[in-house]
Order: sequence, then C-alpha cells, then structure tokens
Amino acid sequence: MTSAERVNEPPPGPIRDYHFPEVNSRTLDNCVRSVVCTAGDLPLVTAHVIVNAGAATESANQAGLALLTANSLEGGTTNRSGTQLAWDLEELGLELTTWTTWDATHVRVTTITDRIEGALALLADIVRNPAFPEGEVERIRDEQLAEIIQRGTEPRALADDMASRSIFAEGSPYRRSTYGEPDVLRCLTAVDATAFHHARMSPDATSVLLVGDVEASRGHDLVMRAFGDWGGKAAPVPQVEVRPGVHETSIRLIDRPGSVQSEVRIGHIGVPRTHPDHITLLVLNAILGGSFTSRLNLSLREKHGFTYGARSAFAARRHAGPFMISTAVGTDVTSRAVEEAFNEVHALLRDGPTDDEIANARNFLAGVFPLQLQSTEEIAERISDIVVYDLPIDYFQHYRADLLRVDSTSVRQAASLHIRPEEMAVVIVGDAAALRPTLEQLGIGKVTVDNLAPAPALAPADAE
Amino acid sequence: MVEIPFERYTLDNGLRVVLSRDASAPVVAVNLWYHVGSRNEKPGRTGFAHLFEHMMFQGSEHVPEMVHFSLVEKAGGSLNGSTWLDRTNYFETLPAHYLELGLWLEADRLGWLLPAMTQAKLDNQRDVVKNERRWRIDNQPYGDWDERMQSMIYPSDHPYHHSVIGSMEDLDASSLEDVEEFFRTYYTPNNAVLSVVGDFDGDHARDLIKKYFGSIPPGPPVPPIPGRTQIDAVIGKELRVTVEQDISLPRLYVAYRTPPYGTDDYYTSAVVAQILGYGKAALLYRTLIREQRLAQDVEAYAFPIVVGASMLVLWTTALPGVTLDRLESALHDQIDALQHVEPRDVTRAVRLMEARQLSDLQTVGERADQLSMYTTLFDDPARINTEVERVRAVTVDHVRSFAARFLNDRNRAVMHYIPKTMNGS
Repeated sequence: MTSAERVNEPPPGPIRDYHFPEVNSRTLDNCVRSVVCTAGDLPLVTAHVIVNAGAATESANQAGLALLTANSLEGGTTNRSGTQLAWDLEELGLELTTWTTWDATHVRVTTITDRIEGALALLADIVRNPAFPEGEVERIRDEQLAEIIQRGTEPRALADDMASRSIFAEGSPYRRSTYGEPDVLRCLTAVDATAFHHARMSPDATSVLLVGDVEASRGHDLVMRAFGDWGGKAAPVPQVEVRPGVHETSIRLIDRPGSVQSEVRIGHIGVPRTHPDHITLLVLNAILGGSFTSRLNLSLREKHGFTYGARSAFAARRHAGPFMISTAVGTDVTSRAVEEAFNEVHALLRDGPTDDEIANARNFLAGVFPLQLQSTEEIAERISDIVVYDLPIDYFQHYRADLLRVDSTSVRQAASLHIRPEEMAVVIVGDAAALRPTLEQLGIGKVTVDNLAPAPALAPADAE
Repeated sequence: MVEIPFERYTLDNGLRVVLSRDASAPVVAVNLWYHVGSRNEKPGRTGFAHLFEHMMFQGSEHVPEMVHFSLVEKAGGSLNGSTWLDRTNYFETLPAHYLELGLWLEADRLGWLLPAMTQAKLDNQRDVVKNERRWRIDNQPYGDWDERMQSMIYPSDHPYHHSVIGSMEDLDASSLEDVEEFFRTYYTPNNAVLSVVGDFDGDHARDLIKKYFGSIPPGPPVPPIPGRTQIDAVIGKELRVTVEQDISLPRLYVAYRTPPYGTDDYYTSAVVAQILGYGKAALLYRTLIREQRLAQDVEAYAFPIVVGASMLVLWTTALPGVTLDRLESALHDQIDALQHVEPRDVTRAVRLMEARQLSDLQTVGERADQLSMYTTLFDDPARINTEVERVRAVTVDHVRSFAARFLNDRNRAVMHYIPKTMNGS
C-alpha cells in the first residue's frame, strides 16, 4: 500500500438508503389504538402497551401512585396470583418489563413469533384485570419507599432529584420525582391503586404496539382479540402547570461530607417534546453536550481531565421538562469545572457553532438513528413517542431529512431562546466544606448549603 | 433457533478474522478483541490495561489527537471500548458505507499507535481514569463490592485478585515506557480477533482487511499470565467481612468460587444464577422478596471468566428494619433448598436464557462482540450458534449436584455492607 493510502482517511462508499419501517395504526371500536410495524429478520415480536397513566396524571396528594400502580401489576390478576403470573410468563421465556414516565405507563414483553398469542393474552390480562391484592401492593409500596430512601444516599440520584427541586416551582409536578413523596406514599394502599387503574387505565387511554415478525392485518387481529372486548372510559386528567423555580443563577450545595467527587447539575426549564424547535435542539445539544466530541465533554474531560464525562440534554416530556448539564468532577476541581461549563455555554451563545460543527452534528444524529433501531424493542420505543406525543404517523419516515435540514440560523436562534445561563440553577452534591469557598469566589451566584435531613425514620430493627 | 452464518480465516500475521453478513439494515459493526485484560498486569501496575485502552482513543500516527472520535461521530457512527479481566475490546457501529473508515482507524492504532503517544496525553487520560474510578467505585454506594469480592475469592497471587480499575497509586506510577512495553507485548495481530458483521460485500471486506491489517508485522508470542493461575476448585472455608459505608440500606453480598467459563459446570452455574435471581418467578424473588418481605431486590451473576476459577455472586438489599443476619440466614436456607430444586425451575431458567440470546442477536454490534469473544476465548466462533445447546444440556441433577459441591459454607465469601450511622440521627 502506498503511504498516501495509509495517511489519509478513506472516503465513504456509496450510501445505502435507510427507511424507518412502515407504521400502521388503527383504532378499535372501544378506542384502543392498535399499531403494527413489521420489522427485523428474526422470529421475534415485541408487544408494547402504552397507557396514558404517567406520573403527571396523578395529583400531588397521590404522589407516587402512578408508579405504584404500574409496579403492582405484577401482583396478579383476577385470573392468576402474582406468583402464578410470573410462572406463566417466564415458562414462555417472557420477561415482563414495566416502567412509568411522567407521560405514560409502559408494559412490554418480547416473544418468539410462535408464542405471540399466549404472550398477548397474558399482557391483556395484566393490563385489563389486575387484582391489586392488599399484601402485594403494600409490599411494592414498601420497596418504593426503600428506593426513595436509597436515592437519598446515592449521589447521582440525589443530584438529579435536588436539581428538579431547584428548577421547578412549587406546584409543578416535575419538581418531585416519579417515585413520589414518602409521606404521601406511605399512606397509599390497594384501594388507591385500584381506583387509579379504574380512572386511568382504560381502553381509550391505551395503545398496543406490535413490532417485529408480524404482518399488519394479522397484528391488528391479534390486538383486537386480546383487547377488543374491553370496556370503560378514562376520567379527565388533571391540568399540569410547569413554572420555573429559579429566575437568576444560584448555587445549591448538598452536603455529603467526605465525598471524593462532586455530582454537578446545571440547568433550567426546557421545552415540551412537541415544541417546533425539538429537532433543532437535538442538533444544538449534540454540539454542546450530546455527543462524545461535544464542547462540554472535550473541554471538561479531554482538555482538563476534570471528569470521566460531561453531557447535556433537553428532557422530552409533554410539558417543558429540564434542560440539564450533568457531570461528576473531582472535589478539588469542582469550581473550575463549573466555571468551564459556563464558559462553554457563553461561548456557544456568543459565537454560535461553526458550520462544520452543525454539519457534523446533523450527520451524527442522522447516522446513529438507524443504529439505534436494530431491535424490535428499540423500534417500539421510538413508535411510542408517536403515540404519547401524538406525532404524525410518518414522523420517523422523514426524521432524518428533518435533521439534515437544520441550518446555522435556526441553531443560533434556538440557542438564544432556549439556553439562558443567567437563570441556571447549579446543584452540587459533594463535600460542602471543601467546595464552598471556591464556589463563592466564582461570583456566578449566591451559594447556599443544604444539610439534608436524615433519611426518614426506619422501622425498628427486628429482634434477633 | 436462528443460525448466524459466518466465515472465519487468519491473516499471515496471525490476525484472526470473522465475517458475518446481514444486509437487513445498512449498518456494519467492526469489533476487535485483544486477548489482554487486567489479569495480565504486573505487580504495581493494577489498572494499566484499562488506562491503556483509553490511550488507544488518543490518536495514532496517521490519526491526529481527538480525530478518532470525531471521524466516527461525524460519519454517524457510535464507538467505545471496554476492559475486563480477560480481554479488552474496541468496537464501532457505522453506517454500512463507512466500513473502510472503521477498518482504517482500527488498523492504524494496532499498527502505528506509539508515534502518537505523549506524556500530556497520558497525564490527561490518567486524570480521566482516576475520575472514572471515583465515579464508579469510590463515590458510589456499594461501589467497591467487586474489588473486595475478587480479593476474597482469589488468593493474592492469582491474576483475578485485583480489580480492573486498579489502584490510584498504581495509576499514578504508570509511565510512557509502560505504554510502549504493553503495546509491543499485547497489541499484536497474533493476539487479536477482528469481527465484521452487517451489510458488506464479502470480497470487498476481505480486500480491505488485507489492505489495512495485512502489512502489520506479527509480535512475539504472548508471555504467560503472571501469578498463580491454577487454584483449588473451592476455597475450603468461609470468608467474611463487614464494610461500613455512607449508605441508607444494608446490603448482603455472597460469592462462591466456581469452575471457569467453558466447563460444563460453568453452564450449570449460569443456569443457577437464573434460577435464583432472574425474573419474578426466581427462587430468591419468590421467597426473600414476595413471601418473606425481607429484601428490596436480589441479583445473581455467574462471571464468564476463564483463568483457574470463576465466581457466582449473589446480592440482596435489606428492606428497612431487616437485619443482614436475618436476611443472610434466609438466603442460605434457599441456597440449601437448591439441592432439591424442581424441574420447572430449570426449565424456566433455560427458556429465559434462550429468549435473551435470540433477542441479543438482533444487533450487529452484539453479534460481532460474541463472535470475537468465542474466537478469543475458545477459538470457536461457532459457539454463537451452539452455546445455547450447552445451556439446554443442564439438568435438574446437574443443578442439585452443583449446589451440593460448590454452594456451601466451605466455599463462600460473605460481605455485609452496613450504614455508617445506624440510628439515622
């Protein structure tokens, strides 16, 4: 080989088209939405149920109930006990996955094609006929409480939770965590879970996605057979109001004495998932902190060695969620790292990204899109965005073209509108005594120190 | 079940190559396994194999600093590497038309890394890795469990005695001379496997691989793994330690020394891990969590490692108000019950493992990583298709016998993590 061939990076070969698989949607008579997408080349089907029963649909005096209800689905149905349900699923090789976001509750299994009917029958039984036995709901509630207690000593979770408290004002649900508040959660029972299920988990609030080795007409038939004879109607969902909790930059220090690292969160209120700037913000964020070669990661990690990684993200939620910069840095370099993060934000706003940066970010996002859609579960999760945020059914067919259209003007405009360093909340979980003096010297905002209340009183230890 | 097709050959310099074509999506995975991990580190240099992995992303003779990452990202690809006990892997998934870029980048750092190494790069990545250690271990509740467990299960002269991340002191001691020596010893074509999976033309891929990798000279034979690699099949006693940490809930870790990956007993241990800890019908979920309400969670994991012995690790977090002594006693009762395990427990475990393997094989990156793994560890890429048979061959009698031989108080290490202040005030 000549040295020129070695020295220069090889050019790409001819590009091959990628098409997001066709999504076929129909609404059954009882208002269940059936969505089928034929995809992949293995004998697998993912059945993914989405219910409009996310944490944003619970009221403040029920904080944690959406998650408790979703997790309590494993407690069994009117047809089988919780243990029987687990056996019935797992003897078919099915792993039940349930999760709750602010915007929806998701229930999913992936099955080999031959067992799709049995899998769907079980899934329908779980979603339609949960029994919520008292003992099981109490058990799951106690586990949820324990999880909240654990988050209080886990620096990353604690930083995330405390950042939400700074970014959102009182009365905004996003201020709390989807795990709920201990004082409220402690009082929730099977009666509450049953009522929440009755009010929220009804056919008109439910979509069933089948993705994988299944044709559209057969897929809709399968959904019809499992969910078509389900009756009921959802109660109106409460209005959600999201207001900022900070109006000028401040630093909130959560004391964790002896920490060898500081978990840093810097952010403010962002934009709803359906905001017209969503795709432009993906490009902007890839440049700031959404890729390995982003400005924040190159500066804080590769230039300064302050951290193992730094990133930023606009959360995608129905209402405006957080825009957040996240990193974990050595205690002795914390104030320098915070300063550098602000420098990067200011520089991006002042000078704008270069044309190369924009082109690279567009190509990165358009290129990794198909890489992230190799499994039926990944495709189903993308389609769930269509369902949850009521996007056009062909949204992902032109998603790459939309990304590649983002230009310098729109990125600059979006940056100046949606990134506001003068109103960022800085939350740091770390050793307050070591951090406070240098953070105050930074002069970017008032520094307050929180000494967290001890974990909620534990039940008395059992006698042994 | 599905049969993954592949073609395997070896270049003159000893580089083993596995190609597997799948044109269902316009993507391609390039994956390299180097048969070197923390087990190969010499005394005083723990953590070096991993620090070296970081240096592999810092550019090579024809790839300027930071350009490795930026070329892949602007091509629309994703990339990473990881270091473990037995191996170090490097991988990128790219749009299919960028296959040549991936091969060029990987070949350049295998053939021409050293001219690009500088003290400044080493100092920077040392800081990054030290922060990685703080992030994963030192500032993380229970974060040092595997480091502690490895040091209990393996004697001090065994290569698995120390952790992959290594100690801060040893990271500080690492020099550019170490980088050069490690590179010349272990980063050779004859100590590596290259797998390419996805949408490519076979002849074209073979030509490109020859073009970029063919001229890299082979290295010397790889030296034996340092330390004592053969150890007793069982520990011979129970080891215990209590660790006080800034945590809110006590957690119990129990580990057993078990036969290494690749042996029949290993597959039994993998099935045992599923029986005990995977899914809601798992034995420990049914008992400790659902029936007895002692624990918040339970996990079980058989380490797929090959030198001398593996380990089977269980952990479970106590619910508030439950002592670890009580939780431990309940756990041991269930482990003892394994000697009378029912056939349906085994069937359930095998079904879940079959389903997961099929699901994992959907991505080209996972296929490439498995092909590299089976070739590196067993010189047998066909295991991507046949490994599941080894799992299916595990019977109730195997599980009962395994439990009696290995899961007892003459072969376990027990670790109690307890909160620093138990009164919470």
